[in-house]
Amino acid sequence: MAVCLDIKGLTKRFGGFFALNELDMEVTTGNIHALIGPNGAGKTTFFNLLTGLLAADEGAIMFEGRPLGEARPSRRTARGIARTFQNIRLFPHLTALETVMIGEHCRAYASTWHALGSAVLRRPFGEGGVERRMRKNAMELLSLLGLAAHANERASNLSYGDQRKLEIARALATQPRLLLLDEPGAGLNPNETAALDETITRIRDRGITVVLIEHDMNLVMGISDRVTVLNFGTKIAEGTPGEVQAHPAVLEAYLGEDVKP
Amino acid sequence: MLHDLFDGYTRSILVFTGVNVLAAYSFYLPFKTGQVSLGQAGFMAIGAYASAVLTQKFGVPFAAALPVAAVVAGMMGVLVGFPALRIKGIYLLLLTLGFAEIVQVITLSWDFVGGAQGFRQIPFIPSILEYVVALIIVLVLFFARLERSSLGRAMDAVHQDETAAEVMGLDVVRIKLLAFGLGAAIAGLAGALYAHHATYIDSNSFNIMVGVEILMFVIIGGSSTYWGPLLGAGFLTLLPEFLRTLRDWLELVPVAWTDFFPMNRVYDFLHDALDFENAKRLIVYGIIIMVMMILRPDGLLTRDSLRRLTMPRGA
Repeated sequence: MAVCLDIKGLTKRFGGFFALNELDMEVTTGNIHALIGPNGAGKTTFFNLLTGLLAADEGAIMFEGRPLGEARPSRRTARGIARTFQNIRLFPHLTALETVMIGEHCRAYASTWHALGSAVLRRPFGEGGVERRMRKNAMELLSLLGLAAHANERASNLSYGDQRKLEIARALATQPRLLLLDEPGAGLNPNETAALDETITRIRDRGITVVLIEHDMNLVMGISDRVTVLNFGTKIAEGTPGEVQAHPAVLEAYLGEDVKP
Repeated sequence: MLHDLFDGYTRSILVFTGVNVLAAYSFYLPFKTGQVSLGQAGFMAIGAYASAVLTQKFGVPFAAALPVAAVVAGMMGVLVGFPALRIKGIYLLLLTLGFAEIVQVITLSWDFVGGAQGFRQIPFIPSILEYVVALIIVLVLFFARLERSSLGRAMDAVHQDETAAEVMGLDVVRIKLLAFGLGAAIAGLAGALYAHHATYIDSNSFNIMVGVEILMFVIIGGSSTYWGPLLGAGFLTLLPEFLRTLRDWLELVPVAWTDFFPMNRVYDFLHDALDFENAKRLIVYGIIIMVMMILRPDGLLTRDSLRRLTMPRGA
Protein backbone atom coordinates (compact mmCIF):
# COMPACT_ATOMS: atom_id res chain seq x y z
CA MET A 1 0.00 0.00 0.00
CA ALA A 2 1.35 3.37 -0.95
CA VAL A 3 1.76 5.90 1.81
CA CYS A 4 0.05 9.22 1.15
CA LEU A 5 1.09 11.03 4.30
CA ASP A 6 4.02 10.10 6.51
CA ILE A 7 4.30 12.20 9.63
CA LYS A 8 7.19 11.93 12.04
CA GLY A 9 7.54 13.64 15.41
CA LEU A 10 5.23 16.52 14.53
CA THR A 11 5.19 19.04 17.39
CA LYS A 12 3.45 22.39 17.73
CA ARG A 13 3.64 24.52 20.84
CA PHE A 14 1.63 27.61 21.66
CA GLY A 15 3.76 29.13 24.42
CA GLY A 16 4.21 26.31 26.89
CA PHE A 17 1.14 24.44 25.67
CA PHE A 18 1.69 21.46 23.42
CA ALA A 19 -1.06 21.54 20.81
CA LEU A 20 0.63 18.58 19.16
CA ASN A 21 3.31 16.50 20.78
CA GLU A 22 5.59 14.21 18.78
CA LEU A 23 2.83 12.92 16.56
CA ASP A 24 3.73 9.98 14.31
CA MET A 25 1.12 9.00 11.80
CA GLU A 26 0.80 7.31 8.47
CA VAL A 27 -2.10 7.71 6.08
CA THR A 28 -2.44 5.05 3.42
CA THR A 29 -3.32 6.17 -0.09
CA GLY A 30 -6.96 5.60 -0.92
CA ASN A 31 -8.09 5.31 2.69
CA ILE A 32 -10.61 7.27 4.68
CA HIS A 33 -8.62 8.03 7.78
CA ALA A 34 -10.52 9.54 10.69
CA LEU A 35 -8.94 11.75 13.32
CA ILE A 36 -10.96 11.92 16.51
CA GLY A 37 -10.47 13.19 20.01
CA PRO A 38 -12.01 15.55 22.54
CA ASN A 39 -12.15 19.30 21.88
CA GLY A 40 -8.72 20.85 22.08
CA ALA A 41 -6.94 17.60 21.27
CA GLY A 42 -5.01 19.23 18.42
CA LYS A 43 -6.97 17.96 15.43
CA THR A 44 -7.48 21.29 13.68
CA THR A 45 -3.91 22.30 14.56
CA PHE A 46 -2.85 19.17 12.70
CA PHE A 47 -4.75 20.32 9.61
CA ASN A 48 -3.27 23.79 9.90
CA LEU A 49 0.22 22.29 9.97
CA LEU A 50 -0.55 20.09 6.97
CA THR A 51 -1.87 23.00 4.90
CA GLY A 52 0.88 25.37 5.99
CA LEU A 53 -1.31 27.84 7.87
CA LEU A 54 0.90 27.14 10.88
CA ALA A 55 4.59 26.25 10.95
CA ALA A 56 5.57 23.16 12.91
CA ASP A 57 8.09 23.53 15.73
CA GLU A 58 9.51 20.09 15.13
CA GLY A 59 8.94 17.09 12.97
CA ALA A 60 8.50 16.42 9.29
CA ILE A 61 5.60 15.81 6.97
CA MET A 62 6.18 13.70 3.88
CA PHE A 63 3.45 13.93 1.25
CA GLU A 64 3.66 11.22 -1.39
CA GLY A 65 7.27 10.57 -0.46
CA ARG A 66 8.44 14.18 -0.62
CA PRO A 67 8.77 16.56 2.33
CA LEU A 68 6.34 19.49 2.44
CA GLY A 69 8.98 21.65 4.09
CA GLU A 70 7.96 25.25 4.53
CA ALA A 71 5.92 25.58 1.36
CA ARG A 72 3.17 28.19 1.46
CA PRO A 73 -0.45 26.99 1.61
CA SER A 74 -1.08 27.73 -2.07
CA ARG A 75 1.97 25.63 -3.09
CA ARG A 76 0.69 22.75 -0.99
CA THR A 77 -2.69 23.02 -2.68
CA ALA A 78 -0.89 22.90 -6.01
CA ARG A 79 0.83 19.72 -4.86
CA GLY A 80 -2.52 18.12 -4.16
CA ILE A 81 -3.65 18.85 -0.62
CA ALA A 82 -7.06 20.46 -0.12
CA ARG A 83 -9.13 21.14 2.95
CA THR A 84 -12.39 22.44 4.32
CA PHE A 85 -12.73 24.65 7.37
CA GLN A 86 -14.49 23.77 10.60
CA ASN A 87 -15.76 27.33 10.95
CA ILE A 88 -16.99 27.78 7.39
CA ARG A 89 -14.81 30.15 5.38
CA LEU A 90 -16.53 30.80 2.09
CA PHE A 91 -16.30 33.97 0.03
CA PRO A 92 -19.60 35.57 1.05
CA HIS A 93 -20.17 37.69 -2.07
CA LEU A 94 -19.34 35.04 -4.65
CA THR A 95 -22.00 32.71 -6.00
CA ALA A 96 -21.73 28.99 -5.38
CA LEU A 97 -20.54 28.49 -8.95
CA GLU A 98 -17.90 31.24 -8.68
CA THR A 99 -16.75 29.78 -5.36
CA VAL A 100 -16.03 26.43 -6.95
CA MET A 101 -14.31 28.13 -9.89
CA ILE A 102 -11.93 29.78 -7.40
CA GLY A 103 -10.81 26.29 -6.45
CA GLU A 104 -10.15 25.51 -10.12
CA HIS A 105 -8.07 28.64 -10.70
CA CYS A 106 -4.79 27.08 -9.59
CA ARG A 107 -5.21 24.22 -12.07
CA ALA A 108 -6.46 26.36 -14.96
CA TYR A 109 -3.60 28.88 -14.84
CA ALA A 110 0.03 27.98 -14.24
CA SER A 111 0.77 31.39 -12.69
CA THR A 112 -0.74 34.77 -11.96
CA TRP A 113 0.91 36.05 -15.15
CA HIS A 114 -0.93 33.45 -17.20
CA ALA A 115 -4.15 34.47 -15.50
CA LEU A 116 -3.46 38.13 -16.27
CA GLY A 117 -2.62 37.32 -19.86
CA SER A 118 -5.78 35.34 -20.25
CA ALA A 119 -7.83 38.15 -18.69
CA VAL A 120 -6.39 40.78 -21.02
CA LEU A 121 -5.79 38.93 -24.27
CA ARG A 122 -8.93 36.85 -24.41
CA ARG A 123 -11.27 37.31 -27.35
CA PRO A 124 -13.32 40.49 -27.03
CA PHE A 125 -16.69 38.82 -26.55
CA GLY A 126 -17.81 35.70 -24.77
CA GLU A 127 -15.72 33.40 -22.66
CA GLY A 128 -12.49 31.75 -23.59
CA GLY A 129 -12.21 27.98 -23.74
CA VAL A 130 -10.51 27.76 -20.35
CA GLU A 131 -13.26 29.71 -18.64
CA ARG A 132 -15.97 27.61 -20.26
CA ARG A 133 -14.24 24.41 -19.17
CA MET A 134 -13.91 25.75 -15.61
CA ARG A 135 -17.61 26.57 -15.55
CA LYS A 136 -18.52 23.11 -16.79
CA ASN A 137 -16.29 21.34 -14.24
CA ALA A 138 -17.66 23.54 -11.47
CA MET A 139 -21.24 22.64 -12.42
CA GLU A 140 -20.32 18.94 -12.32
CA LEU A 141 -18.88 19.31 -8.83
CA LEU A 142 -21.94 21.22 -7.66
CA SER A 143 -24.12 18.41 -9.02
CA LEU A 144 -21.98 15.83 -7.23
CA LEU A 145 -22.65 17.63 -3.95
CA GLY A 146 -26.32 18.23 -4.83
CA LEU A 147 -25.93 21.98 -5.11
CA ALA A 148 -26.62 22.43 -8.83
CA ALA A 149 -29.89 24.23 -8.14
CA HIS A 150 -28.09 26.83 -6.04
CA ALA A 151 -25.29 27.52 -8.54
CA ASN A 152 -26.11 31.20 -8.94
CA GLU A 153 -26.94 31.94 -5.32
CA ARG A 154 -24.52 33.81 -3.14
CA ALA A 155 -22.52 31.58 -0.84
CA SER A 156 -23.67 33.57 2.20
CA ASN A 157 -27.33 32.95 1.30
CA LEU A 158 -27.02 29.16 1.32
CA SER A 159 -28.22 27.11 4.26
CA TYR A 160 -25.67 25.94 6.78
CA GLY A 161 -25.62 22.40 5.43
CA ASP A 162 -25.26 23.62 1.86
CA GLN A 163 -22.39 25.90 2.87
CA ARG A 164 -20.59 22.86 4.28
CA LYS A 165 -21.17 21.01 1.03
CA LEU A 166 -19.96 24.01 -0.96
CA GLU A 167 -16.75 23.94 1.06
CA ILE A 168 -16.23 20.35 -0.03
CA ALA A 169 -16.99 21.21 -3.67
CA ARG A 170 -14.52 24.10 -3.58
CA ALA A 171 -11.83 21.86 -2.10
CA LEU A 172 -12.48 19.16 -4.73
CA ALA A 173 -12.17 21.77 -7.46
CA THR A 174 -8.47 22.09 -6.67
CA GLN A 175 -8.16 18.45 -7.85
CA PRO A 176 -6.57 17.16 -4.66
CA ARG A 177 -5.11 13.73 -4.04
CA LEU A 178 -5.50 14.29 -0.31
CA LEU A 179 -8.63 15.90 1.08
CA LEU A 180 -8.78 17.12 4.67
CA LEU A 181 -12.33 17.45 5.98
CA ASP A 182 -12.66 19.40 9.23
CA GLU A 183 -15.92 18.38 10.88
CA PRO A 184 -18.00 18.22 7.70
CA GLY A 185 -20.91 16.80 9.67
CA ALA A 186 -21.14 19.55 12.30
CA GLY A 187 -24.62 21.01 12.46
CA LEU A 188 -26.12 18.68 9.88
CA ASN A 189 -29.43 16.90 10.44
CA PRO A 190 -29.53 13.05 10.29
CA ASN A 191 -30.63 13.02 6.63
CA GLU A 192 -27.82 15.31 5.64
CA THR A 193 -25.33 13.24 7.62
CA ALA A 194 -26.41 10.12 5.77
CA ALA A 195 -25.91 11.91 2.47
CA LEU A 196 -22.49 13.14 3.66
CA ASP A 197 -21.54 9.55 4.41
CA GLU A 198 -22.25 8.67 0.81
CA THR A 199 -20.48 11.76 -0.52
CA ILE A 200 -17.27 11.00 1.36
CA THR A 201 -17.30 7.40 0.18
CA ARG A 202 -17.79 8.59 -3.38
CA ILE A 203 -14.87 11.00 -3.04
CA ARG A 204 -12.69 8.14 -1.84
CA ASP A 205 -13.86 6.04 -4.78
CA ARG A 206 -12.52 8.76 -7.10
CA GLY A 207 -9.09 7.84 -5.74
CA ILE A 208 -8.79 10.71 -3.27
CA THR A 209 -7.36 9.95 0.15
CA VAL A 210 -9.53 11.48 2.87
CA VAL A 211 -8.50 12.56 6.36
CA LEU A 212 -11.59 13.30 8.36
CA ILE A 213 -12.01 15.15 11.65
CA GLU A 214 -15.42 14.35 13.00
CA HIS A 215 -17.34 14.14 16.26
CA ASP A 216 -20.24 12.13 14.88
CA MET A 217 -19.11 8.64 15.87
CA ASN A 218 -21.72 6.86 13.74
CA LEU A 219 -20.36 8.61 10.69
CA VAL A 220 -16.73 7.99 11.66
CA MET A 221 -17.08 4.34 12.53
CA GLY A 222 -19.26 3.64 9.51
CA ILE A 223 -16.96 4.87 6.77
CA SER A 224 -13.42 5.02 8.12
CA ASP A 225 -10.77 2.52 7.15
CA ARG A 226 -8.55 3.65 9.96
CA VAL A 227 -8.98 5.84 13.03
CA THR A 228 -6.40 7.82 14.98
CA VAL A 229 -7.34 9.15 18.41
CA LEU A 230 -5.70 12.27 19.81
CA ASN A 231 -5.89 13.64 23.32
CA PHE A 232 -3.98 16.71 24.52
CA GLY A 233 -1.88 16.66 21.38
CA THR A 234 -0.75 13.08 21.82
CA LYS A 235 -1.81 10.01 19.89
CA ILE A 236 -3.45 7.62 22.32
CA ALA A 237 -4.75 4.98 19.95
CA GLU A 238 -4.83 3.97 16.33
CA GLY A 239 -6.42 1.15 14.42
CA THR A 240 -9.57 0.02 12.67
CA PRO A 241 -12.83 1.49 13.96
CA GLY A 242 -13.50 -1.71 15.90
CA GLU A 243 -10.09 -1.74 17.58
CA VAL A 244 -10.27 1.90 18.55
CA GLN A 245 -13.75 1.63 20.02
CA ALA A 246 -12.59 -1.08 22.39
CA HIS A 247 -9.34 0.64 23.33
CA PRO A 248 -9.24 1.46 27.07
CA ALA A 249 -7.36 4.75 26.59
CA VAL A 250 -10.04 5.95 24.21
CA LEU A 251 -12.83 5.14 26.60
CA GLU A 252 -10.96 6.95 29.33
CA ALA A 253 -10.39 10.04 27.19
CA TYR A 254 -14.02 10.23 26.15
CA LEU A 255 -15.84 9.05 29.26
CA GLY A 256 -13.43 9.74 32.14
CA GLU A 257 -11.43 7.21 34.09
CA ASP A 258 -14.09 6.31 36.62
CA VAL A 259 -16.31 4.78 33.99
CA LYS A 260 -14.74 1.48 33.05
CA PRO A 261 -16.73 -1.13 31.21
CA MET B 1 -9.32 66.43 -32.67
CA LEU B 2 -10.79 66.53 -29.15
CA HIS B 3 -8.69 69.59 -28.60
CA ASP B 4 -10.73 71.72 -31.00
CA LEU B 5 -14.08 70.63 -29.67
CA PHE B 6 -13.77 72.55 -26.42
CA ASP B 7 -12.59 75.95 -25.30
CA GLY B 8 -9.56 76.14 -23.05
CA TYR B 9 -11.53 76.31 -19.84
CA THR B 10 -13.71 73.29 -20.58
CA ARG B 11 -10.66 71.38 -21.77
CA SER B 12 -8.91 72.10 -18.52
CA ILE B 13 -11.88 70.90 -16.49
CA LEU B 14 -12.08 67.74 -18.55
CA VAL B 15 -8.37 66.99 -18.18
CA PHE B 16 -8.51 67.36 -14.40
CA THR B 17 -11.64 65.22 -14.29
CA GLY B 18 -9.86 62.57 -16.34
CA VAL B 19 -6.80 62.68 -14.12
CA ASN B 20 -9.07 62.18 -11.12
CA VAL B 21 -10.77 59.24 -12.83
CA LEU B 22 -7.38 57.64 -13.48
CA ALA B 23 -6.35 58.29 -9.88
CA ALA B 24 -9.60 56.70 -8.70
CA TYR B 25 -8.81 53.60 -10.79
CA SER B 26 -5.35 53.48 -9.25
CA PHE B 27 -7.04 53.15 -5.87
CA TYR B 28 -9.67 50.73 -7.12
CA LEU B 29 -7.28 48.03 -8.37
CA PRO B 30 -5.45 47.35 -5.09
CA PHE B 31 -8.76 47.77 -3.28
CA LYS B 32 -10.15 44.92 -5.37
CA THR B 33 -7.77 42.66 -3.44
CA GLY B 34 -8.65 44.30 -0.12
CA GLN B 35 -5.71 46.71 0.07
CA VAL B 36 -6.75 50.21 1.07
CA SER B 37 -4.11 52.75 0.08
CA LEU B 38 -4.05 56.38 1.10
CA GLY B 39 -0.72 56.73 -0.67
CA GLN B 40 -1.85 56.91 -4.29
CA ALA B 41 -0.96 60.62 -4.30
CA GLY B 42 2.63 59.55 -3.58
CA PHE B 43 2.67 57.38 -6.70
CA MET B 44 1.11 60.24 -8.67
CA ALA B 45 3.96 62.45 -7.49
CA ILE B 46 6.54 59.87 -8.58
CA GLY B 47 4.97 59.63 -12.04
CA ALA B 48 4.64 63.40 -12.32
CA TYR B 49 8.21 64.16 -11.31
CA ALA B 50 9.63 61.30 -13.37
CA SER B 51 7.92 62.54 -16.51
CA ALA B 52 8.78 66.17 -15.75
CA VAL B 53 12.46 65.38 -15.25
CA LEU B 54 12.67 63.22 -18.37
CA THR B 55 10.97 65.71 -20.68
CA GLN B 56 12.36 68.96 -19.31
CA LYS B 57 15.87 68.00 -18.24
CA PHE B 58 16.67 65.25 -20.73
CA GLY B 59 14.52 66.24 -23.66
CA VAL B 60 12.69 62.91 -23.83
CA PRO B 61 9.45 63.19 -25.83
CA PHE B 62 6.30 63.03 -23.70
CA ALA B 63 5.01 59.93 -25.48
CA ALA B 64 8.10 58.08 -24.27
CA ALA B 65 8.25 59.67 -20.83
CA LEU B 66 4.66 58.74 -19.99
CA PRO B 67 5.16 54.94 -20.03
CA VAL B 68 8.45 55.37 -18.15
CA ALA B 69 6.60 57.34 -15.47
CA ALA B 70 4.12 54.48 -15.19
CA VAL B 71 6.89 51.89 -14.91
CA VAL B 72 8.83 53.87 -12.28
CA ALA B 73 5.69 54.40 -10.20
CA GLY B 74 4.74 50.74 -10.69
CA MET B 75 8.13 49.53 -9.47
CA MET B 76 7.83 51.76 -6.41
CA GLY B 77 4.39 50.22 -5.97
CA VAL B 78 5.84 46.71 -5.90
CA LEU B 79 8.46 47.84 -3.38
CA VAL B 80 5.84 49.39 -1.11
CA GLY B 81 3.58 46.41 -1.82
CA PHE B 82 5.95 43.95 -0.16
CA PRO B 83 5.61 45.31 3.39
CA ALA B 84 1.95 45.93 2.55
CA LEU B 85 1.47 42.17 2.16
CA ARG B 86 1.94 41.59 5.83
CA ILE B 87 -0.37 44.21 7.22
CA LYS B 88 -4.03 44.95 6.82
CA GLY B 89 -6.73 47.48 7.48
CA ILE B 90 -5.82 50.51 9.52
CA TYR B 91 -2.12 49.61 9.58
CA LEU B 92 -1.90 49.44 5.82
CA LEU B 93 -3.66 52.80 5.71
CA LEU B 94 -0.97 54.25 7.94
CA LEU B 95 1.86 52.64 5.97
CA THR B 96 0.63 54.07 2.67
CA LEU B 97 0.00 57.44 4.32
CA GLY B 98 3.56 57.39 5.60
CA PHE B 99 4.81 56.55 2.13
CA ALA B 100 3.00 59.52 0.59
CA GLU B 101 4.41 61.75 3.31
CA ILE B 102 7.96 60.54 2.57
CA VAL B 103 7.51 61.29 -1.13
CA GLN B 104 6.21 64.73 -0.27
CA VAL B 105 9.18 65.53 1.96
CA ILE B 106 11.65 64.27 -0.64
CA THR B 107 10.12 66.39 -3.40
CA LEU B 108 10.12 69.36 -1.04
CA SER B 109 13.79 69.08 -0.15
CA TRP B 110 15.40 67.77 -3.34
CA ASP B 111 16.72 70.73 -5.28
CA PHE B 112 17.23 68.75 -8.48
CA VAL B 113 13.43 68.66 -8.88
CA GLY B 114 12.95 72.25 -7.74
CA GLY B 115 12.63 71.68 -4.01
CA ALA B 116 10.36 74.15 -2.27
CA GLN B 117 10.13 76.31 -5.41
CA GLY B 118 8.48 73.47 -7.23
CA PHE B 119 9.15 72.12 -10.69
CA ARG B 120 8.57 74.83 -13.30
CA GLN B 121 8.21 74.93 -17.05
CA ILE B 122 7.18 71.37 -17.58
CA PRO B 123 6.49 71.06 -21.33
CA PHE B 124 2.79 71.68 -21.98
CA ILE B 125 1.23 68.95 -24.09
CA PRO B 126 -1.69 70.33 -26.14
CA SER B 127 -3.08 66.87 -26.89
CA ILE B 128 -3.22 65.87 -23.21
CA LEU B 129 -7.00 65.44 -23.31
CA GLU B 130 -6.62 62.80 -26.01
CA TYR B 131 -4.12 60.94 -23.85
CA VAL B 132 -6.46 61.12 -20.85
CA VAL B 133 -9.49 59.92 -22.77
CA ALA B 134 -7.55 57.13 -24.48
CA LEU B 135 -6.15 55.88 -21.18
CA ILE B 136 -9.56 55.92 -19.51
CA ILE B 137 -11.01 53.90 -22.39
CA VAL B 138 -8.14 51.41 -22.16
CA LEU B 139 -8.61 51.11 -18.39
CA VAL B 140 -12.37 50.63 -18.60
CA LEU B 141 -11.84 47.89 -21.19
CA PHE B 142 -9.16 46.34 -18.98
CA PHE B 143 -11.40 46.34 -15.92
CA ALA B 144 -14.35 45.05 -17.92
CA ARG B 145 -12.25 42.05 -18.90
CA LEU B 146 -10.72 41.63 -15.49
CA GLU B 147 -14.14 41.55 -13.87
CA ARG B 148 -15.24 38.68 -16.10
CA SER B 149 -11.99 36.77 -15.79
CA SER B 150 -10.71 34.16 -13.40
CA LEU B 151 -8.08 36.58 -12.11
CA GLY B 152 -10.74 39.16 -11.30
CA ARG B 153 -12.71 36.54 -9.41
CA ALA B 154 -9.54 35.50 -7.60
CA MET B 155 -8.97 39.13 -6.56
CA ASP B 156 -12.49 39.30 -5.17
CA ALA B 157 -11.85 36.08 -3.25
CA VAL B 158 -8.60 37.48 -1.80
CA HIS B 159 -10.55 40.57 -0.73
CA GLN B 160 -13.21 38.51 1.00
CA ASP B 161 -11.06 35.93 2.80
CA GLU B 162 -7.35 36.00 2.21
CA THR B 163 -6.57 32.87 4.19
CA ALA B 164 -9.24 30.79 2.50
CA ALA B 165 -8.06 32.10 -0.88
CA GLU B 166 -4.47 31.08 -0.19
CA VAL B 167 -5.54 27.64 1.01
CA MET B 168 -7.61 27.20 -2.16
CA GLY B 169 -4.40 27.55 -4.15
CA LEU B 170 -4.49 31.23 -5.05
CA ASP B 171 -1.06 32.84 -5.02
CA VAL B 172 -2.15 35.65 -2.72
CA VAL B 173 1.30 37.26 -2.62
CA ARG B 174 1.53 37.65 -6.39
CA ILE B 175 -2.10 38.66 -6.80
CA LYS B 176 -1.79 41.40 -4.18
CA LEU B 177 1.58 42.63 -5.47
CA LEU B 178 0.26 42.68 -9.02
CA ALA B 179 -2.76 44.72 -7.99
CA PHE B 180 -0.71 47.11 -5.89
CA GLY B 181 1.99 47.55 -8.54
CA LEU B 182 -0.46 48.07 -11.40
CA GLY B 183 -2.45 50.48 -9.24
CA ALA B 184 0.71 52.48 -8.57
CA ALA B 185 1.51 52.50 -12.30
CA ILE B 186 -1.94 53.90 -13.07
CA ALA B 187 -1.36 56.57 -10.42
CA GLY B 188 1.97 57.36 -12.10
CA LEU B 189 0.16 57.90 -15.39
CA ALA B 190 -2.37 60.18 -13.72
CA GLY B 191 0.41 62.20 -12.09
CA ALA B 192 2.38 62.59 -15.31
CA LEU B 193 -0.71 63.74 -17.21
CA TYR B 194 -1.46 66.24 -14.48
CA ALA B 195 2.09 67.61 -14.58
CA HIS B 196 2.08 68.18 -18.33
CA HIS B 197 -1.23 69.96 -18.20
CA ALA B 198 -0.53 72.13 -15.16
CA THR B 199 3.12 72.67 -16.32
CA TYR B 200 4.02 73.37 -12.71
CA ILE B 201 4.11 70.95 -9.79
CA ASP B 202 5.43 71.18 -6.28
CA SER B 203 5.46 68.95 -3.25
CA ASN B 204 2.01 70.20 -2.30
CA SER B 205 0.41 69.18 -5.60
CA PHE B 206 0.20 65.61 -4.31
CA ASN B 207 -0.34 66.07 -0.61
CA ILE B 208 -2.09 63.77 1.81
CA MET B 209 -5.49 65.29 1.09
CA VAL B 210 -5.18 64.28 -2.57
CA GLY B 211 -4.88 60.68 -1.38
CA VAL B 212 -7.95 61.11 0.80
CA GLU B 213 -9.93 62.59 -2.09
CA ILE B 214 -9.00 59.68 -4.34
CA LEU B 215 -10.38 57.33 -1.71
CA MET B 216 -13.58 59.40 -1.56
CA PHE B 217 -14.04 59.20 -5.34
CA VAL B 218 -14.14 55.42 -5.11
CA ILE B 219 -16.15 55.15 -1.90
CA ILE B 220 -18.78 57.58 -3.17
CA GLY B 221 -18.86 56.22 -6.70
CA GLY B 222 -19.01 52.61 -5.55
CA SER B 223 -16.17 50.19 -5.06
CA SER B 224 -17.83 46.93 -6.09
CA THR B 225 -17.89 47.68 -9.81
CA TYR B 226 -15.38 49.27 -12.15
CA TRP B 227 -17.92 51.94 -13.15
CA GLY B 228 -17.88 53.25 -9.58
CA PRO B 229 -14.51 55.08 -9.72
CA LEU B 230 -15.44 56.64 -13.06
CA LEU B 231 -18.77 57.84 -11.72
CA GLY B 232 -17.39 59.00 -8.37
CA ALA B 233 -14.43 60.95 -9.75
CA GLY B 234 -16.48 62.35 -12.63
CA PHE B 235 -19.38 63.33 -10.42
CA LEU B 236 -17.37 65.01 -7.71
CA THR B 237 -15.07 66.87 -10.09
CA LEU B 238 -17.81 68.09 -12.38
CA LEU B 239 -20.33 68.91 -9.65
CA PRO B 240 -19.15 72.52 -9.19
CA GLU B 241 -19.41 73.06 -12.93
CA PHE B 242 -22.96 71.78 -13.00
CA LEU B 243 -23.78 74.05 -10.12
CA ARG B 244 -22.29 76.98 -11.98
CA THR B 245 -24.55 76.30 -14.94
CA LEU B 246 -27.54 75.95 -12.68
CA ARG B 247 -26.62 79.23 -11.09
CA ASP B 248 -26.74 80.90 -14.49
CA TRP B 249 -30.21 79.52 -15.05
CA LEU B 250 -31.28 80.82 -11.69
CA GLU B 251 -30.64 84.34 -12.95
CA LEU B 252 -33.70 83.88 -15.12
CA VAL B 253 -35.93 83.11 -12.16
CA PRO B 254 -37.99 86.13 -11.02
CA VAL B 255 -36.37 87.91 -8.12
CA ALA B 256 -39.55 87.69 -6.03
CA TRP B 257 -39.22 83.89 -5.93
CA THR B 258 -35.61 83.80 -4.95
CA ASP B 259 -36.28 86.31 -2.20
CA PHE B 260 -38.80 83.95 -0.78
CA PHE B 261 -36.38 81.04 -0.96
CA PRO B 262 -32.82 82.12 -1.77
CA MET B 263 -31.82 79.20 -3.99
CA ASN B 264 -29.16 81.29 -5.63
CA ARG B 265 -27.42 81.76 -2.33
CA VAL B 266 -27.51 78.02 -1.63
CA TYR B 267 -25.98 77.46 -5.05
CA ASP B 268 -23.42 80.15 -4.47
CA PHE B 269 -22.35 78.48 -1.28
CA LEU B 270 -22.25 75.02 -2.83
CA HIS B 271 -20.35 76.21 -5.83
CA ASP B 272 -17.89 78.12 -3.72
CA ALA B 273 -17.43 75.17 -1.42
CA LEU B 274 -16.95 72.67 -4.23
CA ASP B 275 -14.53 74.75 -6.26
CA PHE B 276 -11.46 72.73 -7.02
CA GLU B 277 -9.11 75.39 -5.75
CA ASN B 278 -11.00 75.70 -2.52
CA ALA B 279 -10.34 73.49 0.47
CA LYS B 280 -13.92 74.06 1.60
CA ARG B 281 -15.00 71.35 -0.82
CA LEU B 282 -13.70 68.87 1.71
CA ILE B 283 -16.52 69.98 4.01
CA VAL B 284 -19.01 69.04 1.34
CA TYR B 285 -17.18 65.74 0.65
CA GLY B 286 -17.34 65.02 4.36
CA ILE B 287 -21.06 65.64 4.45
CA ILE B 288 -21.60 63.53 1.34
CA ILE B 289 -19.57 60.70 2.88
CA MET B 290 -21.59 60.79 6.10
CA VAL B 291 -24.90 60.77 4.24
CA MET B 292 -23.66 58.02 1.92
CA MET B 293 -22.50 55.80 4.77
CA ILE B 294 -26.05 55.90 6.09
CA LEU B 295 -28.00 55.68 2.84
CA ARG B 296 -25.72 53.84 0.41
CA PRO B 297 -22.70 52.43 2.23
CA ASP B 298 -21.57 50.56 -0.90
CA GLY B 299 -21.42 53.70 -3.03
CA LEU B 300 -23.70 55.22 -5.64
CA LEU B 301 -23.23 52.35 -8.06
CA THR B 302 -23.01 48.73 -6.94
CA ARG B 303 -22.81 45.45 -8.76
CA ASP B 304 -26.40 44.72 -7.80
CA SER B 305 -27.69 48.05 -9.01
CA LEU B 306 -25.85 47.52 -12.31
CA ARG B 307 -27.39 44.07 -12.62
CA ARG B 308 -30.82 45.57 -12.04
CA LEU B 309 -30.16 48.19 -14.70
CA THR B 310 -28.91 45.82 -17.35
CA MET B 311 -31.20 42.84 -16.79
CA PRO B 312 -34.93 42.76 -17.30
CA ARG B 313 -36.98 42.42 -14.15
CA GLY B 314 -37.29 38.93 -12.77
CA ALA B 315 -34.18 37.69 -14.55
